[in-house]
Amino acid sequence: MDKVAIVAGGTSRFGVRNLTWRELLQEAAAATFDAESRILPKEIDTLVVGAAEPERFAFQSYVAPLAAETLGMTPKMLLRTELACASGQMALRTAWAHIASGLCDVALVAGVEKMNLPNMAETQASMACVLDREWEGLHGASAPPFFAMCAQRHMHSYGTTVEQMAKVVEKNHHYSTFNPTAHFTKEVPMDKVLRSPMVAPPLRLFDCSGITDGAAIAILAREAIVPDLTDTPLWVHGWGQANQGFRTGAIGDLASWPAMSLAAREAYRNARVSPKDLDVVELHDCFSISEIIAYEQLGFTPEGKGGAFIDEGQSYIGGSTPINTRGGLLGCGHPLGATGVAQVVELFRTLRSEVPPQRQVSGATLAMAHNLSGNANTHSIGIYGLDKPGTAA
Amino acid sequence: MTSGALSADKHGGGAPPPRKPHIELPFLLDFVPLQDEGSTQVSRFFSALKEGRFETTRCTACDTLLFQPRTTCPECMSTELRWEELPQSGRIYAFSAMLMGAPIGMEKDLPFVLGLIDLDGVGLRIFSRFEGGSYEDFAIGQRMRLRVHTFPDGRVTYRFAPAADTFPLQAKA
Repeated sequence: MDKVAIVAGGTSRFGVRNLTWRELLQEAAAATFDAESRILPKEIDTLVVGAAEPERFAFQSYVAPLAAETLGMTPKMLLRTELACASGQMALRTAWAHIASGLCDVALVAGVEKMNLPNMAETQASMACVLDREWEGLHGASAPPFFAMCAQRHMHSYGTTVEQMAKVVEKNHHYSTFNPTAHFTKEVPMDKVLRSPMVAPPLRLFDCSGITDGAAIAILAREAIVPDLTDTPLWVHGWGQANQGFRTGAIGDLASWPAMSLAAREAYRNARVSPKDLDVVELHDCFSISEIIAYEQLGFTPEGKGGAFIDEGQSYIGGSTPINTRGGLLGCGHPLGATGVAQVVELFRTLRSEVPPQRQVSGATLAMAHNLSGNANTHSIGIYGLDKPGTAA
Repeated sequence: MTSGALSADKHGGGAPPPRKPHIELPFLLDFVPLQDEGSTQVSRFFSALKEGRFETTRCTACDTLLFQPRTTCPECMSTELRWEELPQSGRIYAFSAMLMGAPIGMEKDLPFVLGLIDLDGVGLRIFSRFEGGSYEDFAIGQRMRLRVHTFPDGRVTYRFAPAADTFPLQAKA
């Protein structure tokens, strides 16, 4: 199989935007390309669009050709990927698979989600139908109460505290103050988290990522073409993914997410690395508790010790594993299809030392991006590095 | 459709239109499944529930108890399934509440409690709305009992309420 690298990327500003679905895409394109770019979309042979719910949020199906026309592309291969909150990462992985197998040379991956509608309750309904609508959604199931139950069980089993969860929020909002594309750019100290309105106990407003509009683009190319496109590529080192159930009652004890550790194990094996080798990690902090459980399931700390991991500052820059230095979903917002692509754009820039110094992990060469989807029943992971796979010292 | 809902004159005297337009629920925003025989092969689940029985399917080939009710067994792909009654009591495994941000059509229900019930003796964990109390009234491990909830249009679902506070199941004639 051909080796594949990310050679360029950019994102729109995330937030409550006065932009339509296709305008978000155009803003991300303008952030990725200019007249000096070594390649333009019209020269790219493949388009993969990660979009979770354009039908519900933008009343538009069949968005890959829409995106192609908008970007001036006439690709020979195009499609859309959907895996709820992991739709963007699935677009990256699908593009990688097509390039690695020799089906195409260069792919433009676009993650786009327009989520702010005139009626927020309609947005919430669309978010809720990611869960089992007929059997659980009708009871009012949606993301906040699900992750609240995970928090309840983690607190019950391990003594994790709301203060530890608030510390995750404080950290990620701190980093997002240095990210001009983030939805939220103000510091959110712990006491502000703990005084914010309760959404789904024990989760408060700031424990939840935002309803956000955004788009992100990454360009992937096969090894032979990479030197023509950039001097500092970010190589794909390996992938891991696992699923366990769909129905909330079928996915285990909630305090641990076995599918996440399975996905991580596969990713580490494929990339031939271990958790301690990672210099920086973008993981799916859709809720504060998600990041704490992720510390454990990704192997950065033993099960039950996620709260202590943030207390010790291990996930800050300077700690053992800097996490979500982009600002995370908590700070940047979570436009479903865009998130997975934006995370990898961040890793591309971080490993090239292009981000502001306050969120730069200096000397980073190996990184992970993780997305969970739905009620955390599915986990998707990519590992990326500056060294070409198989050539690391 | 209420196409007039956005027009200012409906609210008189040049008043500004409401900030959020009123949107009637089309089918694809209606969370409650269709339950009649013309819509689903497991309509018996709903007709039994209306009569106070909580049923699901068991595979006659490999004996696996399946929830939700199925038409094909995911373990052995048999289509020979039979209906079996489930226990209507269990204990709370986890719970939370929706205090804001409810999906469309459920805003009027706020706040409401929901969670997971471990049904007695069958190894099934069921997600449900809770009745009979607010968030502070529930605890992990608490005994709960099923109640039938009938929507205004006659469709039904199950909910769980504290066992001590249980009403007799109300059969619909």
